[in-house]
Amino acid sequence: MSTTNIGPKGPAGQVGEAVVDYVEDRTGAKTGLTWFLKRNIPAETSWFQTLGFAAMAVFGLQAVTGIFLAMYYKPDPSRAYQSIEHITNDVTWGWLVRGMHKWGASAMIVLVFLHMARVFIFGSYKYPRELTWVTGAMLLIMTMFMGLTGYLLVWDEKAYWATVVAMNITASAPILGPYVADILRAGSEFNGDTLSRFYSIHMLAIPGGIATFIGLHLFLVAKLGISEPPHSHRLARVRREEEAARRAAARDRQPHGRRQVTPETSPQTISAEGGS
Amino acid sequence: MNKAQQEAYLREYSQAKKEGKSFFPYAIYKDHIVAILAFGWIIGMAIWHKVEIGKPVYAATTDFVPRPEWYFFFLFELLKIFKGQNALMPVIMATFIVPNVLMVLLLLTPFIDRGPERRISRRPIALATAVVVFASLAWLTHKGATSEAPTGEGPAIQNLTPEAEAGYVLFQDNACLSCHKLGGSGGVLGPDLSNEGSKAHGVQWHIDHLKNPQAVSPGSAMPAYAGFTDEEYQNLGTFLDGLGTKWKAG
Ligand code: HEC
Ligand code: HEM
Repeated sequence: MSTTNIGPKGPAGQVGEAVVDYVEDRTGAKTGLTWFLKRNIPAETSWFQTLGFAAMAVFGLQAVTGIFLAMYYKPDPSRAYQSIEHITNDVTWGWLVRGMHKWGASAMIVLVFLHMARVFIFGSYKYPRELTWVTGAMLLIMTMFMGLTGYLLVWDEKAYWATVVAMNITASAPILGPYVADILRAGSEFNGDTLSRFYSIHMLAIPGGIATFIGLHLFLVAKLGISEPPHSHRLARVRREEEAARRAAARDRQPHGRRQVTPETSPQTISAEGGS
Repeated sequence: MNKAQQEAYLREYSQAKKEGKSFFPYAIYKDHIVAILAFGWIIGMAIWHKVEIGKPVYAATTDFVPRPEWYFFFLFELLKIFKGQNALMPVIMATFIVPNVLMVLLLLTPFIDRGPERRISRRPIALATAVVVFASLAWLTHKGATSEAPTGEGPAIQNLTPEAEAGYVLFQDNACLSCHKLGGSGGVLGPDLSNEGSKAHGVQWHIDHLKNPQAVSPGSAMPAYAGFTDEEYQNLGTFLDGLGTKWKAG
């Protein structure tokens, strides 16, 4: 593909190529990746259009730090608090991993909100990207639920009472509220099963949902193409040209003799003078 | 956007792409720079602001505010605004109506605003909406972040009968103060109880409310206290029912 690609390949290169061809033949992975990476996007995409990617990267970081936390955490009311203490005080780098997971959660919320704000300001949710917005809104809601379910896991008094209140609020909602609350609490009371239920929702159910929706979201972004900033120089130029063309057309539609002409200098006079 | 506008947009966009650049590497390098900055911030915060751990549940302390992660502060603050004290401010506004309306509006944004204009300077309604929503969220979050933890034991109360005295001890030992104010000190998630007696609910009402707040006071966010003995319920109920009438927080 490039001009430096000359001469016969060494054995490693040949094997590599063969592997790529083998996989490509059976999956189309190379075509897919090329489609994804080598697609053209508008030239003037702005720095604000990096926030979605940053949110996604932080989600990845949360997954990794979360895996390490799960190696030590015990989702049991009598041991949860101690296991968090153990991670924070004894486990090598435990304080750092826990700190990264905690700050990462806040960072992800902030990034998702900023990303949404940029999509809103750019009007990027308009045709044809309406459904990209809807999948994004689902991601926002799920991200908030990650915060709610993760907070309880520390099982300290602040988190405990706050979550009790949040569950009571859920239960107070009309019609479905009581059922949703019972499902979340694993019964009508806040108890030990509530903790393991929150744990499983926090580390299995919602992350699965988020991963799925990031996939959909990204597919739509790649398929539809990222929007052009509405204030780009290119669009400004297009608008200027359109405006000029519109004016010219309007001018042409007017009867010839009525072009911004004052009575003293009629076209005849000009041509007469010009001819002299 | 009508059909013609949609087609015009697609035509314009494919022109932009034709004049554009490849996603790899021209956009993806910017993406990575910002992501690395975000990682750096996270690691930096984890190092400089070490995470803490609060006291265990049931430590019977009152000097904490039961509050969620900061990004839910706005909901808890709404709960303080709509306390259900009168019919115009029903609790359900804060617990159900406002959050769900926000959520539905969020999901439906692209179907509500379908005009072709994308420049924010020419979308005054969208701009105003964004500013109002952002400002209210920021204000409520700020209020939630600065609400103070109640301190210490709760005020001295005069003229308590022995029964009510025992009730007051239970009150102090069960984190009631973290949500309720009494004579000026205490949390703000629940109503101020300094004059609770003047509502003349009766002792039995209070016992029922403690056992199952939602049954007596629909939509209540107060946790149930189901583990007391009959005598303890009686004491606590008596204490609450006389607050501000038979005995006053000083
Ligand atoms: C996590 C926060 C929280 C805690 C802890 C809490 N409450 Fe409440 N309480 C509330 C909220 C919110 C309300 C308002 C809704 C209601 O009336 O149930 C309330 C309402 C009340 C009321 C009824 C006020 C009325 O007349 O409508 C009483 C009495 C009361 N609480 C007593 C107590 C006692 C006693 C305790 C401790 C054993 C306690 N609360 C602990 C949040 C809390
Ligand atoms: C976990 C949360 C999210 C992740 C990981 C994510 C990821 C991304 C990525 C990587 C892009 C590519 C362009 C960019 O970075 O700006 C994008 C675009 C987009 N996102 Fe998100 N997003 C999330 C949440 C949201 C939310 C909450 C919304 C709105 C409600 C949203 C709506 C959109 C739309 C409409 C686009 C297309 C923008 C365009 O073409 O200009 N996303 N998202």
